[in-house]
Formats: sequence, structure tokens, C-alpha cells
Amino acid sequence: MKNNKLLQRIFWIILLALIWQIVFWSGRFSPLVFPSLLEISATLIDSLFNGDLTQQLLFSLSIIFQSLFISLLLALFFSLAAHYSEVVASLIDTLVAVAHPLPGIALMPLVLIWFGAGRQAILFIIIHSVLWPMVLNLRTGFSSIPEIYNLVGENYGLNRLQILIQIMAPASLPYLLAGLKIGWARAWRALISAEMLFGAVNSSGGLGWYIFQKRVFFDLPGVFSGIILIIIIGILVEDFIFNKIEKKTIKKWGMKS
Amino acid sequence: MKKLISLLLITIISISILSGCGGKKEENTITIADQYGLAYAPIQIMKDTNILEKHTDNINIKWKKLANTAAIREAMLAGVVDIGFMAIPPFLIGKDKGMKWKIISGLSMSPLGLMTYKENIKTLADIGKNDRIALPQPGSIQHILLAMAAEREFGDASRFDDQLVTMAHPDGMNSLLSKKEITAHFTSPPYIFKESKEKGIHQILSGKEALDGEFSFIVGVCTEDFYNNHPEIYRAFVKSLYQSIEFINNNSDEAASLLTENYDLPKEEIKEYITWPGMNYSKKILGLDEFINFMQEAKYIDFKNKELSQLLWEVDLYEKQ
Repeated sequence: MKNNKLLQRIFWIILLALIWQIVFWSGRFSPLVFPSLLEISATLIDSLFNGDLTQQLLFSLSIIFQSLFISLLLALFFSLAAHYSEVVASLIDTLVAVAHPLPGIALMPLVLIWFGAGRQAILFIIIHSVLWPMVLNLRTGFSSIPEIYNLVGENYGLNRLQILIQIMAPASLPYLLAGLKIGWARAWRALISAEMLFGAVNSSGGLGWYIFQKRVFFDLPGVFSGIILIIIIGILVEDFIFNKIEKKTIKKWGMKS
Repeated sequence: MKKLISLLLITIISISILSGCGGKKEENTITIADQYGLAYAPIQIMKDTNILEKHTDNINIKWKKLANTAAIREAMLAGVVDIGFMAIPPFLIGKDKGMKWKIISGLSMSPLGLMTYKENIKTLADIGKNDRIALPQPGSIQHILLAMAAEREFGDASRFDDQLVTMAHPDGMNSLLSKKEITAHFTSPPYIFKESKEKGIHQILSGKEALDGEFSFIVGVCTEDFYNNHPEIYRAFVKSLYQSIEFINNNSDEAASLLTENYDLPKEEIKEYITWPGMNYSKKILGLDEFINFMQEAKYIDFKNKELSQLLWEVDLYEKQ
């Protein structure tokens, strides 16, 4: 079954790549607009091994994981506090209502003044994009736990902490994972747009800066190779991290088919 | 079998969608794109006084203001813009990658400069590893001039490349004036004039020093497609452009009052700026050789055909220094 799924994915990717290459070979579009896949791959490999791209990729990933981790801690804290106190809950709900619809990029001019154009600024924008949907998901997760679970726990004589760890955490895990997935996707978006706007925040910048540089030097295969790298990482994380975690937990426990 | 059918469907759909693209263009339309800044003032004059309309009849003229050169280049590649205004280096980068376009004429020469608020920075050598330099983007004329100066002084064109921050001129100016992490700003008028009037801000390097000579800051560029298919409109545009440049040179007073609305500056200030020493509106093209030679050596471009006729529509406008 697993092999089958992998094969299917490879089949579709090869098919799409083939269509791309056929369109290129047809000569319908100028190669300036529609570069050959071979050229794109050559640029990608060259940038990875001879250029700064590997370093830029690691830099981008480190910022993403760092901000995901901070957001997760904050989101857990907020949602738990809201779970135990109604005053906090109404505060958090108001904060979410205010901040959630606000695109991080809209805050860009303020962030530049508050934090300058450095790593902190990008961290702030990513955390802002990730935190609120995560809080929403966790809040839904906690409130969707049937009261009877907690009562059973109390009957067993569990204290609050034990109920939290042994009952609430596993029961709300599907929501937490969904929140993480959304957070991951939104973190990428925020990161790439912030990097394109701020430029290089360390000596070589990240993936967004790579794409931007390729754009200003009019190197379309380079732009595509940056995009393809993002796609590859997205697929790898989805297939090898999230799916693995799901299989080991919520699927095994029968919470998701 | 089912798989085969869906496969076939997807192929057909994607091909039929793609063949619908390509964008038809209306007949007798000219789209002109420029950017923000006083170096583009003649274009604004041309627009406000309807000079181009007087030289043509019954054509549809569209004006676009785009935020940066990359956007103009992409719009011209897509066939949405026919004539665009930009500095020489971005033109050369596009030409090098195969853009079918050539320079029509010069538009302006202008003071450019690297400004700083740090008193202890007097020359390029004083710029430390932790100083950040704001400029519009890599590959812009400001970046290339900085690289030229770095090559001449330190033998290393990319010396400052790790310290660049991409910012549009207004953002760059605000960041410099807030005197925080952006220690230097490579900019153009009117921002360079405004910054030089601020207390404590001084210039480290001028464009002229960087290139070691005069150069055209902004030039007009026309696509091969438009030049070949609309020769009459092209000629009318060139005539109008020359007239606009003449107008701003001969009637700086009237030009200033025309421009005041658009640039949101008082008339006196505009007049001061457009007659500032070094701010010259001219159709001559200067500095082309210097940019080509440097950008080739520093590997920003790898040009094969350097004949002027490959680069210019009007070869007689070129002036060798």
C-alpha cells in the first residue's frame, strides 16, 4: 500500500515534468518566459553544490523550525490558560479576532521600525502568521474533548496534570497536528515574502533572498529552481514527518483513518 | 483504462489552456513605463502637456508607474509595456539574458551618492563588516557603482555584497535618518538632496567618482517588437521625448510648477532640485562602455555582441568619453 502511494506520486510528478518539457520543446514560448526543465535542474544542482543555496536553505529552515517551536509553546500556553479560565479565554478570543486576519506583510513597515531588518523581524512576522491559527486549532481541540473523558479521569483519581498529559493531550492531538501542518505552510509563506522584502538578513540570506536575487539578475531558471526546492521540501516534510507522526499516533489510536 | 482516460483528459486540458495564453495586443497602443524619482521628470512633462498626443493621431497611450526596474523588465518581456525607463546596468543584464530590446536615448544624468550618518566613516575603507548598506536591489545601478568603487579601491567588486539591504529609496531614506542599523544608503534625487540637507548626514562616494566619469543615469528602452511593428509611433515618441527634455531645460520654472502636483513638493524645492549641479536632462548616452567593460570583468554579464547597433536604436546619440 505504501509503495503504491509512493509510486503514484512519482508517476504524477514524472508526467507533469514531461508535459512541461513538451511545452518547452514545442517552442510556443520564448525560453526567457518558459525555461527548459533540464536547464532548471542544472541551475538547481549548480546552486546547491557551487553556490550559497545549501547554506541559504539551512538558514531558512532554521528560522522556520525556531519560529514553529516558539509558536507552539506560546499557542499551548494561551490555549491551556484559556481552557482553565474564562476571563483569559475571552481575552485570547479577542486577540485572535484582532490579529488572525492581519497579514504579516501588512505589519512590515512597523516591524522595520521596531526590530530593524534583521533575523528578529523575520521571526516576528513568521510567529505572527503561525501563532493565531495554531491557537484556534488547539482551542477547538480542547473544547471538542467530551466532558465524559475528563470525568473518567477524575474517577480514576487523576490530578489536573495527569488529566492534561494522559487524556487531553492525546485526545486533542489531531487538532494539534492539523495546527502544525497549517503553521508549517504559513511559516513558509511568511518567510519567503519577508525575505524578499528585507533582503539578506545574514551574510547570505535565505531561500526567499535567493529567488529575489535570481529575479533581479533576470535568471528565470534560477527563480524556478528556488520554487522547486520549496516544493520538494514541502513534500518531504509532509510525507516523512507529518505522515510518520500521524501513523505512529492518531492513526494507530483509531482517531483518523 | 480509467487511468488512461483521466491522463488523456488532463493532458488535453492543460494544452488547451496554455494555447489560450499569449495575450493579444490592441493595434495602435503604446504603453510607457517609468519609476518614481526626479530623474524621470521629462516623462511626467510629456504626460502632463500632452506632447505625444500632439505628434500622433488616434492612438491609445497608456502610462504606468512601476516600483522597480525588475518589474518594468518583466512587463516588457510579457509584452505589456513597449517603452520603459531604467538605468544602464539592468538594461545590460536583460540584454545579456536575451531580451530583444535596445536603448532609444538618454533621459537624465544625475548626482548619485552613498550617504551615511556615521561621523567616523569618511571613505569606503571605513565601512566595517557590521555596517549595512541600503540600496534598491542587487544589479541596480547603485549596486554596480558600489561594486566599481570597491573593485578600484580594494580589488574586490563583491566586497560589500554581504552587507546589502534591499530597500526602495523612501524606505532607505527613513532607515538612514532613524540612525539605527542602516548605516549607509546609496541613493538618487530627490532623496539624495533631502538627505544631504539633514544635519549629520554626509556623502562617502559619488556616482561620478565610482565610475570615474559622467554617465547617463536613466535611459529609455524600446522592445524590438514595438520598434518593428509601429515605426510611426516610435518616431513620434522619440520626437516627443526630445521636446520634453528641451522643455524642462529651457523652462525650468514652468516645468517646476507642472511637476509640483505630481511629486508633492513645493515648486521652489522642485526647481532647486531639477537645476541642482549635476542634474542634467539630456538625450545623450554616456557611460555605456564603462558599464559594459566593468560588468563583463566582474562577471555580471557575459556579452558577446558589443557593436553599438546591437545596443542602440539611435547610434548617433552615443558619446564616447
